[in-house]
Amino acid sequence: MIFQMRPPAPKEADLTIVYDAIVVGSGAAGGMAAHVLTSHGLNVLLLEAGRKLDMESELKSMEWPYDHPRRGEMPRDGHAITLNEYTVRQPPYAKDTPYKHVYSYVQGWGGSDYSKNIVVDEKDHPYTGTKYAWVRARLLGGKTAIWGRLALRLSDYDFKGKTHDGYGEDWPISYADVQPYYDKVDLYLGIAGHKENLPHLPDSLFQRTTRLNPSEVMLRQSLKKMNRVLTPYRAGVTTDGLKHNKYRSKCYGRGACNRRAGGCDIHAAFDSPTGLIYPAMDTGHLTLRTNSTAYEVTVDPATGKARGVAFADSQSGKHYEARGKAVVVAASTLESARLLLLSKSNAHPNGIGNSSGHVGHNFCEHVMGPSILGRVKDLVGKPRTLDDGRPGGFYIPRYRNLEDRQPKFIRGYGFEGGGGTGMIPGRAFSTPGFGADFKKTVRDEAGAFVHMGGFGEVLPRYESSVSIDPAVKDRWGIPVLKFNYAFGDNEKQMALDMAVTGKEMFEAAGIEVLHADADVLTEGWSIHELGTARMGSDPKTSVLNQFQQSHDVKNLFVVDGSSHVSASCQNPTWTIMALAWRSCDHLADELGKGNL
Amino acid sequence: MKPDRDGLTRRDALKIAAGAAFSLPALFTRTAAAATTAASAPRFFTKDEYALLDELTETIIPTDRHSPGARAAKVAAYIDGRMAEAFLPVEADVQERWRDGLRRVDALSQEMNGTAFLAASPEKRVAVLARMAGNEKDPKSAEEKFFRELKGATVQGYYTSEIGIHQEMEYKGNVLQGEYAGEEPT
Repeated sequence: MIFQMRPPAPKEADLTIVYDAIVVGSGAAGGMAAHVLTSHGLNVLLLEAGRKLDMESELKSMEWPYDHPRRGEMPRDGHAITLNEYTVRQPPYAKDTPYKHVYSYVQGWGGSDYSKNIVVDEKDHPYTGTKYAWVRARLLGGKTAIWGRLALRLSDYDFKGKTHDGYGEDWPISYADVQPYYDKVDLYLGIAGHKENLPHLPDSLFQRTTRLNPSEVMLRQSLKKMNRVLTPYRAGVTTDGLKHNKYRSKCYGRGACNRRAGGCDIHAAFDSPTGLIYPAMDTGHLTLRTNSTAYEVTVDPATGKARGVAFADSQSGKHYEARGKAVVVAASTLESARLLLLSKSNAHPNGIGNSSGHVGHNFCEHVMGPSILGRVKDLVGKPRTLDDGRPGGFYIPRYRNLEDRQPKFIRGYGFEGGGGTGMIPGRAFSTPGFGADFKKTVRDEAGAFVHMGGFGEVLPRYESSVSIDPAVKDRWGIPVLKFNYAFGDNEKQMALDMAVTGKEMFEAAGIEVLHADADVLTEGWSIHELGTARMGSDPKTSVLNQFQQSHDVKNLFVVDGSSHVSASCQNPTWTIMALAWRSCDHLADELGKGNL
Repeated sequence: MKPDRDGLTRRDALKIAAGAAFSLPALFTRTAAAATTAASAPRFFTKDEYALLDELTETIIPTDRHSPGARAAKVAAYIDGRMAEAFLPVEADVQERWRDGLRRVDALSQEMNGTAFLAASPEKRVAVLARMAGNEKDPKSAEEKFFRELKGATVQGYYTSEIGIHQEMEYKGNVLQGEYAGEEPT
């Protein structure tokens, strides 16, 4: 319903020519690669497995629930996998299902009718092994269509984690190497936030911050006395607008932002198509081919270098090969590992770029589960305010294992949370009773709630891994991933601590604790998979160098979260884009010098 | 804080114009339309079941001085629609559970009041529901379990309705704002 700048007309892919670079995947990493490489004047082909959706008509961000025949729910022949199912069953979760479509848990959120074409149907995309809530979005833009928008920087507490506490490996880069690229990402895409001058959560170049509501201010003031920080949600959202991008509007605080699957139809929130890909197409250097399911990085047998990418047309099933001087893999942490492992040749018998045997290993992410719900007595019965006219409420950065050493776990966690109510008072479902008193309680208390949930760093371990399961194939006949992954003791101890300190912070602020959950959610819940093709200086123990360039194959780059050496507890999207920018600058430079 | 539109660029104004025209009047026109539309025949429940369901939802979320309740918000029609669109045969048990639940409400009313639920006085109806709601946190009997299911669907239907969102909860979002009216961190 809102006037939108239409996407640029696509160019036909020409599979008879050799592109300067082929990018596989169009999410945060692939979109950034397309932007940076085309800005250097390179001729780029971007392959995306999914469709290009008309997002404005898909998302219907401002549709009221009552104007939808099922109040936003998907058709009843579709099913979202529940926490209970993930807990008691093993993948593939859609096996023997009576439903026509099966989706990951995120499809169980409100507004699921708006995301049913965004998240994949598990029936087409099975996987095997240990339980894992794997959320995938195959469409132009990938998971940036539904991401949570928390945009955080990492620090040297993360990049130099081993130096700090002895565990794992340091990254082959430090904050000083990445900082200029974080700045570029901030300025090109827009980020809202408030400066806090924290060494462990560096500030970005912020646009106007989102604001706090009264319960959040109360918690912020109280936390100061504990030497902890509550900062407004640092959001990958442009609050002041972007003069250089005609596809995105600034944020108007309309509300209903927390209908995540509803996305942002004015694209104030970053998504890869409007933020990166459409502007890259406008340079005239980018060719986009959607419906292109890559299944192999092909190899020139004479040189052992990457020759291009073999893919199946996702609709017709026909097979093609696109050729490029460089191949940039950005298919998401797990899909990129799958693609490398599938790309076996005489030159690369363990999969391309995998002479170290580390592809698919050192898999890490964030542990979630512990959460706190509280009520602020002074806010009960107060006049209604709009509490969700913003991308998120607040973030409490890590406070563990910075200067202190916790006896039971290493690394740290942060909390995401918010106060007040959204469009629908979710607490009504668990408010006891019925009748006029019940109705009044729901009404009076809706604005008085404050809640938060923890995100903790999961340690990378060599044995935490994915591999190819040749026995099971996806809809396109491509062998699927088998998981060998579970949280360890460090994650469990950390989660126990989250529950304790979360409660302690609410109590210190005088917030009445209504519910404190200490249970850990299924592996995968954070949707922050990382680490399966890690960077490092030693080719024997790492897959990529500091420029996300394969140690084995110099014209092969892997620029998504698979390159991360450790998970940090800070959300990865902004770091993925900063690193992709840095690496693609390097790629363009090396290509220009004839070094690839 | 008043919405501040002065800072809008021309492009922004173009982008929002259609949205503003769409969202603001819709709020008011639809209220009038909803009030004049007669309830259509139930799609899944029988007429008697539907009448019972309608009264149950209104007992759970009644009209009060603040706003109309579940009946005005057509919560029974919402639940009826969900039942009619159940995915069969997988959800046949859900349909049967609701039919059985409604029968149990009447049976309980007969036991407690000597009349069917709808024939009982408002106080006696409340007493029947209060009995069913006795173990809300950990329901054991079929009646107690049905109350949970009935209340969940009523809450879902009511608070996603036009009355629930605008009149009862006075939700102020989903329309264009100047900016979020919170406080700067200090």
